[in-house]
Amino acid sequence: MKYLISCLIVFTALTTSAQKFTISGTLKDATNGEDLYGGMIKVKELTNVGAISNAYGFFSLTLEKGTYTLIFRSTGFESKETVVELNKDIELKVELDIPKDVQNIEEVEVKAQKENENITGSGMDVTRLDPKDIETIPVLFGEKDIMKTLQLTPGVKGAGEGNAGFFVRGGGADQNLILLDEANVYNASHLLGFFSVFNSDAIKDVSLYKSGIPAEYGGRASSVMDVKMRDGNKKKFGMSGGIGLISSRLTVEAPIVKDKGSFIVSGRRSYADLFLKLSKDTSINQTQLFFYDLNAKANYRLGDKDRIFLSGYFGRDVLGINDAFGFNWGNATGTIRWNHLFSNKLFSNTSIAYSDFDYGFNVGSGEDGFGISSSINDINFKQDFDYFLNSNNKMKFGVNAIYHTFKPGELSGGNSSFNPIILDTRYGLEAAAYIQNDMKIGSRWSLMCGLRYSAFNLMGDGTAYEFDGNGVLTNSTEYSRGESIALHHGLEPRFSISYILSENNSIKLGYNRNLQYLHRVTNSTTSSPTDIWVPSSNNVLPQLADQIAIGYYQNFNKNMFSFTGEVYYKALQNQIDYRTGASNFLNELIEGEFVYGKGRSYGLELQLQKKKGKFTGWLSYTLSRALRTFDAIDNGREFSARQDRIHDISLVTMYNLTERVALSAAWIYYTGDAVTFPSGKYELNGTVIPYYTERNGYRMPDYHRLDLGATFYFKEREKFEHNLNVSIYNAYNRENAYTITFQEAENDPTQTEAVQTTLFKIIPSITYNFNFK
Amino acid sequence: MDLNESNPQTVIEGNYTAEDSTVVVRITNTSSYFNSDASQTVNNADVTITDVNGLTTNVPFVEAGIYILENYAPEFDTEYTLSVQANGETFSATCEMRTPVLIDDITYEFFPSIFGADAGYAPFLNYQDPADQTDFHLITLGVNSKEWSELTDILQQDDALVNGNYVERPLFGRSLFEFGDTVHMHFRTVDEKIYSYYGQAISNATGGGSSAPGNPDSNWDNGALGFFSAYSSSRKSVVIE
Repeated sequence: MKYLISCLIVFTALTTSAQKFTISGTLKDATNGEDLYGGMIKVKELTNVGAISNAYGFFSLTLEKGTYTLIFRSTGFESKETVVELNKDIELKVELDIPKDVQNIEEVEVKAQKENENITGSGMDVTRLDPKDIETIPVLFGEKDIMKTLQLTPGVKGAGEGNAGFFVRGGGADQNLILLDEANVYNASHLLGFFSVFNSDAIKDVSLYKSGIPAEYGGRASSVMDVKMRDGNKKKFGMSGGIGLISSRLTVEAPIVKDKGSFIVSGRRSYADLFLKLSKDTSINQTQLFFYDLNAKANYRLGDKDRIFLSGYFGRDVLGINDAFGFNWGNATGTIRWNHLFSNKLFSNTSIAYSDFDYGFNVGSGEDGFGISSSINDINFKQDFDYFLNSNNKMKFGVNAIYHTFKPGELSGGNSSFNPIILDTRYGLEAAAYIQNDMKIGSRWSLMCGLRYSAFNLMGDGTAYEFDGNGVLTNSTEYSRGESIALHHGLEPRFSISYILSENNSIKLGYNRNLQYLHRVTNSTTSSPTDIWVPSSNNVLPQLADQIAIGYYQNFNKNMFSFTGEVYYKALQNQIDYRTGASNFLNELIEGEFVYGKGRSYGLELQLQKKKGKFTGWLSYTLSRALRTFDAIDNGREFSARQDRIHDISLVTMYNLTERVALSAAWIYYTGDAVTFPSGKYELNGTVIPYYTERNGYRMPDYHRLDLGATFYFKEREKFEHNLNVSIYNAYNRENAYTITFQEAENDPTQTEAVQTTLFKIIPSITYNFNFK
Repeated sequence: MDLNESNPQTVIEGNYTAEDSTVVVRITNTSSYFNSDASQTVNNADVTITDVNGLTTNVPFVEAGIYILENYAPEFDTEYTLSVQANGETFSATCEMRTPVLIDDITYEFFPSIFGADAGYAPFLNYQDPADQTDFHLITLGVNSKEWSELTDILQQDDALVNGNYVERPLFGRSLFEFGDTVHMHFRTVDEKIYSYYGQAISNATGGGSSAPGNPDSNWDNGALGFFSAYSSSRKSVVIE
């Protein structure tokens, strides 16, 4: 509390009483009218003074009366300069062009400009990806995948092959908040993790916060991945898409009224199962294995001060074998948003979002068939204000409330053998209020102070259980609708400070505390859609993360190279795991199977990036540990978390060979996951059984692979461009271990062996992409 | 692959079968994982079994780590405690011997070829689950003169979803049965701790899928591996014709 007051005092002291006026407006892409997020508005005559456009392209800059040269800039666009006479409030609508005869192929001309936003921006480094940047990076099956590309940046580790989950700075896979236009996405993977649910054609921006998480975000302990959809071309009709080996996609966009409103619809469908139809075996040719997704968005400007947006996502995965077995799951999200300008300094965004994740599992058909289903859905209300107080202070404040409904499992159907089971539905209300100020002090210091207060109320109707230390039920209490079962709350301070040493280097220090009220407990090596989301309750406490990080940033050679070094330490409390032998299948008393502990992770992240020229790319190296301590596991000895990958190296390179050919290569290496292997064996019932001692005391073999890609751009016509992308996944065909199991040798039961399975060997693929512009 | 070698631990496998009133206990030690020699047996242990009334009976050594007591008639729905003194330590485990639930009938159905596997018959277990208690069962199959009784052949059945119902469940063993085969079914009634133990042991024996495999929750105290299971049986056979 004291620290909040001191922040307020500091900035009030800095506001002077001279006459000031405000320059405000929007920053957009001239080719299609899309809002530019994170665009820079700099004042040539003043050092360290400027503004950044928000997610809706809105900016506001308050300066003393005078004449100024404003420079508008955004990565990948030609900058614009405008001279303004500031003797009253001014509104500008600025559009930036893509540099002539360049479509991110040739070198972008650099004049006497400073492209050192990474040095001068406040707050810790946020990793931002523009889908244009990753067009040529090769990934599995030739599909552009934002989440897989994020895993090539330091501090972010993928959960492994066949897995779309990820770990940020040693945190668990459930500790990442994934937002799609403000709506929560609970399961961000298709086909058991081979692809993410984000269709890059529909995405405008992805921002990943690993530290210095702004106070407007909360609910997860380790990171926030904020994905924003494109609005759709406001100037003319556009259609683009691609045809690949595994899936195809199509995007259609057009203005509703030119420069006032537009829509975009983007769809994708996979067809791996069409190849299976060629088989003569009826059990194979009736197998279904596909996914589809659909993104749709519309936006409209009602007058100068108001805009409304409507966006939605719907995706589904279907896996089925004959009528014998079926498995399907999917997310659906829908958001309505309203931007309103209260003044040229106060921007407001109101959103109402709905999000649903469900899965269904059915065995058999007709009379004998039965099904199990589970779902989680949210209704989310958010009110955010951006208040551009003056050129040195930008405030954000707002409130947020999410009403969660958890349906952990329902078993129905079946013949008279099975009793239907419906596990209790759980209801929770998660709410928060926040305030944050980004301040500039003098020409070198930037300070971000934020405070978030969050709370979670688990409510009836339902039954609450109590257990003893061994998980045996001791008491159960009934609650009626709306009655509070458990209330958790806390303050989450967010703080960072940075100092610009010179125009080429800066240092930053940050601290944040995050509370997490929803948990996904898993006891398998791969995150599967059947992992259950569990709310905090009278037994389960909210997860808590405290992180401190220090970073050093340096640019070389006129901003051609940038170097980042960060050191962090994160302390986690109230971590959850299953006790040995836990039963988690349709278990009403699941909370009795949990054990609680704490964790800590720390590491060093280094990245060297070349941003300009024919040859670009980056090299990142992470040295880190992720450790856990649970009283009930290994007698409270500290052990490695599964994701304790000590070394992690990514080398990504992109080379423009000619105007029409772009090559890329990515090499990834990481220390194998920590696993539990046997330290002995014994015999029971004539069968050999492994004997385990310490948890996660062994390592899987190190993982590494090389991916290569080439994109051939065909001759561009006035209204049509197309290219062919060829890629090879795991080019030197390394057999990376997916699992290692210990069992009796098949032909000799007295011998035991370790069997390694590999998921992906060398996989070439080819995709044709087109764009009608 | 390099695995650590832990110190040898005591492994005690105790089975008290109601159908022949016999207690069989096998005591061995763990060995290092890739060692191909047979397990080391413990031949000088002191083994006793105590019933619910406190009456203790000695289980004498026979050979090769095996101790057998015969003609020990069980009292259903009471607890028995097995005590072992071996390798300089004392271990004890308690298990409830429950009244057997009986197989009502074995029926069978023809299953067509799936994924290239041979077509054949699968037997159905038919029984009435008692409604007033929670029941746990282990099932093994046999064909003609062979019994499929390794750890990985054992199937599990409990009444969490079927309490009080007449159950008709298909059972799948190592393969489907052929016309003319005699199908044997052995339906054991066990207590909850043993049921849970077998589930974990079978998972470990088949390589484990869990990211954090552990030693199964044993009913032995003092750190012995293995289990003490007192169980009752119901058997039936039928010819597929």
